Amino acid sequence: MGTRSPYLAPVISLGTIVGALAVMQGLITAEIVSPYVVPLPTDILASFERVVVEEGIAGRFAVTVGETLAAGLLIVLVGIPIGLLLYRFARLRTAFEPWLATIAAAPLVLAYPLFLVLFGRSSLTIIVIGFAAGVAPAALPQIFVGLRLGLIFCLINVVGVEFLINLGGLGQLINDLAERYDLPGTYAAICFVVLASILFFAVLGRGEKWLQRRR
Amino acid sequence: MIADKEVVANPQPEAAPAPAGPPPLTVENVTKRFGEGPGVLTAVDSISFTVARGEFVSVIGPSGCGKSTLFHVIGGLTDATLGSVRVENETINGPHPAVGIVFQEESTFPWRSVIDNVAFPLELRGVGREERHAAASRYIDMVGLHGFEKRRPSELSGGMRQRVSIARTLAAKPRILLMDEPFAALDEQTRLLLGDKVLQIQQQLEQTTLLITHSITEAVQLSDRILIMSYRPGRVKRVVKVDLPRPRTSDVISSREFGACVADIWSDLREEASRGLAESERGSG
Amino acid sequence: MAATAQITGAPGQVNLSVSTIRVVGALVLLGIWQGLALSGFFFRDVVPPLQKIAHGLVALFGNGAFYSNLAVTGGELALALVIGGLAGLLVGLLLGGSELMSDAYESWLSYLGPTPKIILFPVMIMLFGVGSGSKVAMGAVSCFFPIAISVASGMRGVDPTLRRVGRSLQANAWQMFLKIELPAMTAPLVNGFRLGFGVAMIGVLLAETKLSNQGIGFMIINAYARFDMPQMYALLIVTIAFAAFVNAFAERMVRRFGARTI
Repeated sequence: MGTRSPYLAPVISLGTIVGALAVMQGLITAEIVSPYVVPLPTDILASFERVVVEEGIAGRFAVTVGETLAAGLLIVLVGIPIGLLLYRFARLRTAFEPWLATIAAAPLVLAYPLFLVLFGRSSLTIIVIGFAAGVAPAALPQIFVGLRLGLIFCLINVVGVEFLINLGGLGQLINDLAERYDLPGTYAAICFVVLASILFFAVLGRGEKWLQRRR
Repeated sequence: MIADKEVVANPQPEAAPAPAGPPPLTVENVTKRFGEGPGVLTAVDSISFTVARGEFVSVIGPSGCGKSTLFHVIGGLTDATLGSVRVENETINGPHPAVGIVFQEESTFPWRSVIDNVAFPLELRGVGREERHAAASRYIDMVGLHGFEKRRPSELSGGMRQRVSIARTLAAKPRILLMDEPFAALDEQTRLLLGDKVLQIQQQLEQTTLLITHSITEAVQLSDRILIMSYRPGRVKRVVKVDLPRPRTSDVISSREFGACVADIWSDLREEASRGLAESERGSG
Repeated sequence: MAATAQITGAPGQVNLSVSTIRVVGALVLLGIWQGLALSGFFFRDVVPPLQKIAHGLVALFGNGAFYSNLAVTGGELALALVIGGLAGLLVGLLLGGSELMSDAYESWLSYLGPTPKIILFPVMIMLFGVGSGSKVAMGAVSCFFPIAISVASGMRGVDPTLRRVGRSLQANAWQMFLKIELPAMTAPLVNGFRLGFGVAMIGVLLAETKLSNQGIGFMIINAYARFDMPQMYALLIVTIAFAAFVNAFAERMVRRFGARTI
């Protein structure tokens, strides 16, 4: 069977991305695919700088992070005590853990119009939705696993709601660019958010491994 | 280093009326190496033997002697580095329909009932449901699991599950039955009972059988001939013919001759097992 | 402690206590709600009293528009699950069956999986229009990831001995897949679909709230726009309850299939 080169997998991985971009570039240049549907990859790349500079990526990033942190703080303040309470009192746990699990799995983000009504079109709404999405998983008695999951749900929902209600940081940026029909910019912003989230989870993963080693 | 006791040439089966035609199983100069260069591990080195029709042959050896590797090569699950394995006149180069395999590990399909497990080989061949269930029932009865046809493996004990595996392998009507320590995970009593059951079936079907085992009593109880393997690299150290009468009743098993045979084999095996132990203690793993 | 002392009581006594706790908990929460609703603290119907919510539910079930919108959303969701599910299954099988493919591509799945798919909606609109197409696409992209990840993991989790049994009996590739691998990974497969259903539902509904003129999501945002709070509450309750029910059912299925091991 033989050992395979450790470079083969990364080459395939990277090669596929480059190859796909090249194919897209070709198809769009040949006008087989309309550039109004999918912009030229080179245009998307070019708009990166514009998006970063003109749209104030740093500031938007800060807003999103700020909202996530605020919601995260609430999750910790409310979720951890509840989790501890359930951990401590077995019968409370038996009684309410299924409810908590159901809430944790429930698509609460669908209720965002309700939160808009309750808290107005403001950062508060976004923070509350992030909190609501993350508090139930965080309170589930497996404290560390639950907290991580809760924070992930929180971030996902914060960005999502920013997009939906067109308010806030990165999520709003995507919506804004889309409504302005700045297609390359929209794609670039999406790429940016995806890259940021990849970075976030990579860091989270490393942090977890580091913490596990220290145990 | 193995000295004088090493048997090099193919031992000819001196069994009762050797039937015409090529032997069902011929293992010829099989060598299996893992890796290359200085780190190469020779698991099995130039092993040769044949198994005659209807014969029950056991291969016994200490842990790490390469008998599992030998099993995988004969079963066609891995290629030999050198040498060949032939079923009658065909050289095998992959799992062969004539070789039925019973694995040491749990191998029943948990999601299928006993009868659907046993009928599986027939299902693969496209046999209709009625027909294959009828055939499977026969083998289920043979292994003593009558009444358990509709049960799931999870409802059975380990020994019963192994019986299902054996029945399933037999349902494929293999010319050669190859078993790799099938009773290793079972307790002593179950081992003895199952061994007895397998022997009954083997005698009834005149099934050519090759058993890999580490239990001397099991080998002597069941076999016509026993191949003793040396510790790594695995070679055939000695071939012992078991002349005890059949059927191997409890009288036979408690006889003096039986004990002598076991002791004889143990003297060889102990030497190999000690070598194996010494090497692993030295940390050569 | 008091808690343990009560646990060591008769079994019937313990069960009753848990039920009692739940009933008490539910009553407390409903009480708080009703209190807030009647306090006048919130604007008009923003936190409606329980009677109004109940009335809204009844009205919803009598509303013809509910059923026609439900059919639209249901159709979009079903199609999304088929497309995303099939794609996820195929990719999962590919990655789970080949170490090289897994090393090359599986990290893509784990990194892209947790990102909020709704941000892709503008792309979907460009590709599939403002109608149901973009909603189906949202749902499909959403459920693709958990299904692919579960299937890949499930493939790798198949007991190698079972595969060896198949090989020794000369099973061809199709038989291996259908009769050994697929049944062996039923539990992770169902689990993948459980997760996939949840995110597909979110994807389709959020897309409908953002830009649509039909579907349950549209009804929700429409109720919001008209300030028909009882209807919005009713829709949200029905939707979330449905999601919870499907999730619970699927979990029981996973447990049942998981029990098909030794």
